[in-house]
Amino acid sequence: MTDVAIRTEKLTRRFGNLVAVDGIDLQVTAGQFFGFLGPNGAGKSTTIKMLTGLLSPSGGRVELLGLDFAAHPVEVKRQIGVVPEGMGLFERLTGTDYLRFVGRMYGLDQATTDQRATELLEFMQLADRPKTMIADYSHGMQKKLALAAAVIHGPRILFLDEPFEGVDALAAGALKALLGRMTERGVTIFLTSHVMEIVERLCSHVAIINKGRLVANGSLEELRAGIPGDEGNKVTLEQIFLSIVGQHGTESQVDELSWLT
Amino acid sequence: MADVARPVSLADQIGLVAKLRWRILLNGLRRKNNVSDLIGMIFVSLFGAILVIGPAFAFYFAGYSLVSERRMQWLPLPFWGVFVFWQVFPIFAVGFGTGFEFKTLLRFPFSAGAFYLIGLAYGFSDFPAVASVTWLLVMMAGAAVANVSLLPIMLVVVLLFILLNVTVERLIGSWLERLLARRRTRELFFGLFILTMFSLQFISQAQGRYMKKGSAAGVLRVMKYLAPFPPSLSARALTGAIRHDFTDIALGLLGITAFVALFTALLWQRFAAQYRGEELSETAAPSAVRVRAAPSSRLASGGQAAVRIPHTAAEDQRVALSKFVPPILGAMVSKEFSYLIRNGFAFFLLVLPPVQILLFSSRLSGKHAIFGGRGLNADLLFPAMMAYTILVMVGPAYNAFAYEGRGIQTYFTAPVTFADILKSKNILSVAMIAVEVVICGAVLSWHLGLPSVPTLFATAFGLIFTVVAQLPIANWASLNFPRKLQFGSMRSQRNSGAAIWIMFGMQIVIGGISTLVLLGARWTGNPWLPTEAFAFLVAAAFAGYFASLPALSEFAEKQKEVLMEALCR
Repeated sequence: MTDVAIRTEKLTRRFGNLVAVDGIDLQVTAGQFFGFLGPNGAGKSTTIKMLTGLLSPSGGRVELLGLDFAAHPVEVKRQIGVVPEGMGLFERLTGTDYLRFVGRMYGLDQATTDQRATELLEFMQLADRPKTMIADYSHGMQKKLALAAAVIHGPRILFLDEPFEGVDALAAGALKALLGRMTERGVTIFLTSHVMEIVERLCSHVAIINKGRLVANGSLEELRAGIPGDEGNKVTLEQIFLSIVGQHGTESQVDELSWLT
Repeated sequence: MADVARPVSLADQIGLVAKLRWRILLNGLRRKNNVSDLIGMIFVSLFGAILVIGPAFAFYFAGYSLVSERRMQWLPLPFWGVFVFWQVFPIFAVGFGTGFEFKTLLRFPFSAGAFYLIGLAYGFSDFPAVASVTWLLVMMAGAAVANVSLLPIMLVVVLLFILLNVTVERLIGSWLERLLARRRTRELFFGLFILTMFSLQFISQAQGRYMKKGSAAGVLRVMKYLAPFPPSLSARALTGAIRHDFTDIALGLLGITAFVALFTALLWQRFAAQYRGEELSETAAPSAVRVRAAPSSRLASGGQAAVRIPHTAAEDQRVALSKFVPPILGAMVSKEFSYLIRNGFAFFLLVLPPVQILLFSSRLSGKHAIFGGRGLNADLLFPAMMAYTILVMVGPAYNAFAYEGRGIQTYFTAPVTFADILKSKNILSVAMIAVEVVICGAVLSWHLGLPSVPTLFATAFGLIFTVVAQLPIANWASLNFPRKLQFGSMRSQRNSGAAIWIMFGMQIVIGGISTLVLLGARWTGNPWLPTEAFAFLVAAAFAGYFASLPALSEFAEKQKEVLMEALCR
């Protein structure tokens, strides 16, 4: 069994003349909590879509758990869980219906699916409204349900696109605890987020993508080592990020908006 | 300190909004780079122009002839025509969706008065308003040509009538918007609306029975009861002017002014509520958060240390097939069934065929015969009506992913092939069609009696062939030309034009094959020939269907971006 969970080689995606992802080589070790960062439009979502089968690459290859995605899509998908951008929920089902549906789609038997759906709904604090359709859920509730659906089959790799967006602090705490335990059990988590504090707190390794290219990749300590910081103060991930992708809205640029201040 | 903007005049505000709408229109056109969409828009514009110009001639001559021939008793009719069109057409055209939200302008520093006027002005930008104003002005011109002294009073009447109509239209629109903001109410209204439209089909029968004679007298009798309402009051003021009867002029003008004042007050009330920030969101009110230190479920029964995760797939040996149905098929059929019972439109689609069959069969058979005094017999009508049922029922299969929305992503992330997904969807479609065919068959048998045994068997095999032969093409069309449809909404709720044409093409081909088979039976005089031929075609259709699934599964992979782009918006 390989200990590399995610490997990409020259992963590329073009949309007409635009190269959204430009030959990314990425390697994520099994059991890592991996943060994937980048400014808006850098290619984060495009990459995660290619890693999860939601988008076909224009070039390169994706290998998950030692299996070539293009050659073995069903076998690969059976072992991964995804919270995609937009969450991918069937809004006319109730939360219970949806989890049962997803469990069965992943081949779980009825009894196991029911048991896990009940536990997950309770854990996500969604069990209060068994008859409420997903269309009537708040954004945060939908996010929690999408996360529950992504883990119901016990995936070995979990892809999360902005998983904490819109989730309240109580639920976020419980989710972080759950995700932490999953990585302890050897589950690999690949997470994108705009909230640096979350990535810094949860992830052991980080990659940064900018204009379709991988511009940084390594453990937090490795990335910190490359950035000069104030003496005695630890360099934050936000500082690392800004120093790598370039700063926008800096003091000098703000000064130009003198009429506003 | 930020600059405080100078107060913007009402005229400037309205001008800015007009420019905004114009820019939105131009940008919308720029996005429509699709040739078929552009052609469609040109056709719609031409059709719209014809729809306005054609009746405009009629309104001109109505104005001219009614005044010159002093047939004042008919003057209310054109006013009523405009009134009904202006008020009813937007409900048809706009449906139960939402249009450009002029309320989004509320974040700008508009006064309540400006907000009201802009809201009212929006009422003039719709097609029915443009058409109605054109017709009224043309009618005024016709009346003025017949009697130029009528022009001043006609001008006042028409202006008041336009103001009344736009006010009422906006009032109805704002109330509909409020009532239909909630999905459930919207679906209920949608069902009622469709049923009302459908029940109008029975009017022609009632008309034929009760309104054979004296229809003009009947209309005039009805007009008497409508006298206190705005269109009749407008006509009354004009009639008074023609007859120099100042009481009629005064009563007509006062009456319509009173209506304008009443509806203005009501509309002001609605717009004032919107101006204050009326909340129409249908998101469920959040329930009180149950404060607890950590989830108390078995999954996580305490603090972080107690969090338990689901078994991994590799560890779990209980992943297995269900006893009777493969899990994926079971899950998909169960999900499709849930969607069916929560979709008012799909439910309506189930009710429609038996009622239509009843309606058509009563028109085409028995006492109400239209073919040389004789009704059509069961041998002809039974297969025809069954084919019609298929025609109605098979349409959704050509846009099978219409209601999936963002859920379509699940199909691409789950460990399934699209062949399984298509099979599951087809199974439910076929099951629905089968139920409908049985119900319609029962209705027809009750009404007409059963056809002969050879016809019954030929019909059964013919139906199976018709459905199964269409499924591969319907699946291909669903993958190639997906269009998102909304539950309980009427705006743009149709399959893509390409899918519709493909469906018609398929039905023409299948109809041609069936006709050849039936002609063959007639030529050979063998009543069992259609049964044998259709049985052979059924076998060929099934073979073609199963052969198509792997290819369609591969095609779905290539089409995933198209599907997600169309359905995840």
